[in-house]
Amino acid sequence: MADLDGLLGGIVEGVTTVLLFSPSTSYHERFADLEDVSVVVVGPENAVGAERFVELPLEFESITERIRFGIEGALDHEFVADGEEIACATTVFNDGIDGVIRARAGEMNHSGVYDLFTNSRADSDVIRDAVDVAIELGQKGQKGKPVGALFIVGDAGKVMNKSRPLSYNPFEKSHVHVGDPIVNVMIKEFSRLDGAFVISDAGKIVSAYRYLEPAAEGVDIPKGLGSRHMAGGAITRDTNATAVVLSESDGMVRAFKSGELILELDPEEY
Amino acid sequence: MALAVSTSASTAVAAAPVASALAAVVSTVSPTAGPIAAQGGVARNLVSRNVDVVLLGVILLVGVLVAYLVARAGRRLLVAAGVGSAVESTASERAARRLGTSVVSVLAWVLALFVFLVFAVLALGSAALLDYRQYLRDFIDYLPGLFLAVLVLIVGLVVADKVELLVGERLRGIKIPSVGVLPVLAKYSVIFVAALIALGQLGVATAALVVVLGAYCLALVVLGGLACKDLLAAGAAGIYLLLNEPYAIGDEVRIDGTRGVVQEVDVFVTRVESDGEEFVVPNQRVIRSGIVRIRE
Repeated sequence: MADLDGLLGGIVEGVTTVLLFSPSTSYHERFADLEDVSVVVVGPENAVGAERFVELPLEFESITERIRFGIEGALDHEFVADGEEIACATTVFNDGIDGVIRARAGEMNHSGVYDLFTNSRADSDVIRDAVDVAIELGQKGQKGKPVGALFIVGDAGKVMNKSRPLSYNPFEKSHVHVGDPIVNVMIKEFSRLDGAFVISDAGKIVSAYRYLEPAAEGVDIPKGLGSRHMAGGAITRDTNATAVVLSESDGMVRAFKSGELILELDPEEY
Repeated sequence: MALAVSTSASTAVAAAPVASALAAVVSTVSPTAGPIAAQGGVARNLVSRNVDVVLLGVILLVGVLVAYLVARAGRRLLVAAGVGSAVESTASERAARRLGTSVVSVLAWVLALFVFLVFAVLALGSAALLDYRQYLRDFIDYLPGLFLAVLVLIVGLVVADKVELLVGERLRGIKIPSVGVLPVLAKYSVIFVAALIALGQLGVATAALVVVLGAYCLALVVLGGLACKDLLAAGAAGIYLLLNEPYAIGDEVRIDGTRGVVQEVDVFVTRVESDGEEFVVPNQRVIRSGIVRIRE
């Protein structure tokens, strides 16, 4: 008679690396004693002091995205080799690790989400902060009404030369950075007016109300997205910037790089 | 010390019988006193001895009580002042925990011990076991210094540990093994200064150590100044550039013969980019050479 271990143990059979997503210290310690399995911790911060660690910039609600990001990060750090069998232990329903998923590194299409955060021109913290602001704006809207917003992050000098002001710049001679707490309030107010926010590599908000003038040819973005997405997507082809767009019509946060849609998030899930 | 002064004043009242007891002791020991006088003296002496023992017991009891209260109040005060959480995870706190106590308790007990010592000396003095005036005055004079020295030493050790932690934390991003020397150096500097202050309180000659400290500080200032000269100049220039913004991100400029688009201005450097080349120009060079803004 087959027992449960024999049937379900197949999931972790032949696995050489375990990815632990935000484990507790005691949980991690039990894994650290294992002899022939290497452990990689994936999480927002290295709370357990693990040797091999991949930073998760967002708490991805979608498990597929989360695991994909973890595997891409582990590949990039060379914690795992291409084609290696991996077990991913992560939270599916509530607190604590309650699910194990088997995957093969490099099997999935390279989505570029990891690259978006770590290999962009702007600092990864700055991109994360811009995405955070967009998500928060998407959740709350402006006085309860849905708003749209467009953040162009990185390569600010070039972006400024490929755009023109729609109104005078409220951020002139100010030194606010996108992670500052006051910024969320300011951006919420300024998002009422049209135009893009331009943010420098180090996170300084250079300008608001910018009308982007990129060359739009050859931009391949999904049909049905409006002019805000088109402008944002197109400028990332012309420059090394990353665009974070909050859609006014469907409320989704999307990120573009090199003219391609890389990341799509629903703010309601966060 | 107000406590000690007031208690010594109150015992000054009690000192009158003590003085007579003292005189009795002297008279019994004195070989010149006659045998009859000695007999009467012994009887009186026995009575006053009993009184003295009671007095001694009372004073010691009060001392223990006051010391206990001081320890409790001190502990509460220290906790309220956030000392407990401030010293968390320092080496001294860990050492204290291993001994089954904590830095806050140690401090509170040191305080209590000193209060008790004051009472003990008073008690011994009143029981005429010590030469009241001489020893007591010496000891009372010495006590605040001793207390401060112990306090400074404990606080110094804790602060040194904290400094080591903080510096280590700041340098953790730099993965060079030799950087590990810096936190330890900072720690021992603090301990050295604390020890110096403590020894000074005790009246030990510290002139040589002060000279060492002076040389160390001088070396730190001179070498630090030399090493940070350019950074200081860049920082001063950068503050002007940030406040007045003679050029902004996106402007085309020529700085020191380098032409390009400004990508970033921070306190120390300006980044100018042209044709895929990024120039990182120190801000003092921007100010020194002047800026050409190019408008078409």
